[in-house]
Amino acid sequence: MSTRSAVPPDARRVGWGQRLSRWDIKVSPYLYVSPFFLLFAVFGAFPLLFNVVVAVHDWHRRAGMGDFVGLDNFTWVLRQPLFWRSLENTFSIFLWGAVPQLVLALLIAAVLDQNLRVRTFWRMSVLVPFVVMPVATAMIFGQVFGQFGLLVPNLHELGLLTGSDSPFFTDRLLSHMAIGSMVVFRWTGYNALIFLAAMQAVPRELYEASTVDGAGRLRQFFSVTLPSIRPTMIFVTLTMTIGGLQIFDEVRLYDGGGTGGGKGGADNQWTTVVLYLYELGFGDWQDRLGQAAAVGWIFAMIIAVFSLVNFLLTRSISSSRSRAPRVTRAQHRAAVARARAVAAASTRPEAAAAAAPGRDGPPPDAPVHDTDVHEGASR
Amino acid sequence: MRITAKSAGAVAFAAVSALALAACGGGGGGASEEAGEDNKPDKLTVAAWMDFPQELLDSFEEETGIEVVVNRFPDGASAQTVLRNGLSSDGAGLSDVHLVELDWWTEMMAVPEDWAKLPEVPDRWVDWKVAQGSVDGAITGYGTDIGPLAIAFNQDMLAGTGLATDPESFGELIGGDDATWQTFLDAGRQYVATSDNYFVDSLTNAFQAAINLLPDAFEDPESGLPYDLADNTEVKDLFMMFADAAEDDISAGIAIGHADWGAGFQNRQWASVVTPAWMTGIIAENADGVDGWRIASTFPEGGGNWGGSFFAVPSTGPNTAWAIELADYLTTPDAAIDWFNETGQFPSQLEAMSAPEIAEAENPFFGDQRVGQIYGDLAAAAGDAAAGGYRGENFAGIQTLVTDGIRLVESDSATAEQAWESVVADFDALGFETAD
Repeated sequence: MSTRSAVPPDARRVGWGQRLSRWDIKVSPYLYVSPFFLLFAVFGAFPLLFNVVVAVHDWHRRAGMGDFVGLDNFTWVLRQPLFWRSLENTFSIFLWGAVPQLVLALLIAAVLDQNLRVRTFWRMSVLVPFVVMPVATAMIFGQVFGQFGLLVPNLHELGLLTGSDSPFFTDRLLSHMAIGSMVVFRWTGYNALIFLAAMQAVPRELYEASTVDGAGRLRQFFSVTLPSIRPTMIFVTLTMTIGGLQIFDEVRLYDGGGTGGGKGGADNQWTTVVLYLYELGFGDWQDRLGQAAAVGWIFAMIIAVFSLVNFLLTRSISSSRSRAPRVTRAQHRAAVARARAVAAASTRPEAAAAAAPGRDGPPPDAPVHDTDVHEGASR
Repeated sequence: MRITAKSAGAVAFAAVSALALAACGGGGGGASEEAGEDNKPDKLTVAAWMDFPQELLDSFEEETGIEVVVNRFPDGASAQTVLRNGLSSDGAGLSDVHLVELDWWTEMMAVPEDWAKLPEVPDRWVDWKVAQGSVDGAITGYGTDIGPLAIAFNQDMLAGTGLATDPESFGELIGGDDATWQTFLDAGRQYVATSDNYFVDSLTNAFQAAINLLPDAFEDPESGLPYDLADNTEVKDLFMMFADAAEDDISAGIAIGHADWGAGFQNRQWASVVTPAWMTGIIAENADGVDGWRIASTFPEGGGNWGGSFFAVPSTGPNTAWAIELADYLTTPDAAIDWFNETGQFPSQLEAMSAPEIAEAENPFFGDQRVGQIYGDLAAAAGDAAAGGYRGENFAGIQTLVTDGIRLVESDSATAEQAWESVVADFDALGFETAD
């Protein structure tokens, strides 16, 4: 550091220092970002690529690589009824988890967005379920839905259930609902906070303007709040899709996971794709790593298609939003033209009188909000 | 019958060759070095899932100065997963000594070089235990316990239906000396006709025990290939017998390991449980506070065996020589007696089986019954049949598949016929090359 400020007695030290600082500029940025890329290469890229190798070979845990089998593993997987059943289960559990979660998170966020007392306390409270480990959530919910848990004996009391067993461990749809409820429990608060952040960014003038226009609370929620946070909703839906389709802990531990458990039920009522993959590759006996790798790739494709659909959805919505400023620009030009006309009219009063009643666009400072509200209401 | 004789012969051959090999080799086996002061570690790790008698660990440390650290798993399944992953990654994450359960022994021993060969200890175990713990004639596991089967039942609940009042009358109810699975299941039908709870916790355990008694349930001992399940009439008959009983709702459909199993005891949901010796301690824990549980000395088909474990030493470990010493120490007859007192598991060691500490011990949970005596008699009655039949590499998997079928019927998700069809379909989907 002194090399720069003080006049150096030794010319070589200057050269060294300059070289160092040049390297510092050129090299260190790469060093700063390298940890992520190194970690990604080791734990992300390498397993992804290596998975291709595994998927086209006969591969076993202990024996390792076997014969090259081409696409046999893929056709084998596609012929397994259990693969398709697990795919159905995955999407069903996803829907049971995602839809109630979106609705609840929106409602909670809307409530938190109001002027509440001890605001921070309420905001912190909704995040509490998120702190609970998924494993603990699964164990607790497994007990709640069990034969001797909180729910089933009470349903018997009310006469809503016959037979003493818990239908949540035998009926396919009910088991999906039960597992979906774990997802709802864990993630609703988290998403509510994301929605809350988006809602707070909505300009308050919109609410004031709509109140002036005579909109009630409900109308404001649907016509102002929801359209304004649409990009956030898309983000939340996307992360929810990716996370929800990969569900594993909850299904693995739903029935306690002990001897004979953890496989998604006797009839695979709640086996998801990831659980199926795990059982194939690392489960008790099948030892089919090649096929498991194939499941991984097939499932990755399915998620990719799903994401593509979501991407198209995002794009169509964002382009519909970009129309709003275009209209405004045209209106703006019209307004400018009118303003010029008015300015001209100030010298020629009769022309100004002609221009003023013919206003076909809103004044230059209000129109953005106005068009937004109308667009949202029309959807 | 033909096959029984053959497999019994194979077992005998394996035992004899194990003896012969040990006699010639002097026990040199795979351990490249002797346990000595120069290679003595500070501590050794043991992976297992049952409680250890503390005095056993203490006295080993006193004798050798080595601290024994127990890596305790909640159940066998999780210990199995860790062991499996460790073996597939050149021993990463493995302990010095591993407890291996009989049900997944074959899978773990698929590559015999993974395991240190253990020196012969003459006359310590029953012969069939040594045979089970050997691979290609070399011993790779020292037996801990065996799982002679009995039936635990609640005499208060049975008295309520007037069918039985004590272990003797319960024995008569399930068929007496000529008890078969059929008479056992019929007793269950009789029980549920008048009671307000189930006869057994789950039929899957009983079915598993019944499968274990078949000489070659799923696979051809000669080729090792699975039989085509659709044509396996022996297994199908057994399956239908249990599935019919499941249709008659004699079981609660909650087996050991299920989250509700403990609650089922507390809620008095069932009156009997097929109980291998190692389960007695677990039942006493889960049914704590519920009176009237007893062990019957009668078992269908003359008795059988479920489980039992071995201590084995992964050959990749850094301290195999001392790990073998520890495995030896943990399977002495004295250690087995300590363990019986701790968890109720029944010894596979000859000397311990007949020891008065086991035969005369009274179990307060089971109404001061001499549980050790009962299991000793049952083990003796079952004899070599307790060793079970042929278990190839797919045994455990096919057994799970078929047992899941029983569970389907228990949960009213399918009729017996439908369940069998679904089991066969699942088996076919796996695309095994089958034996003819």
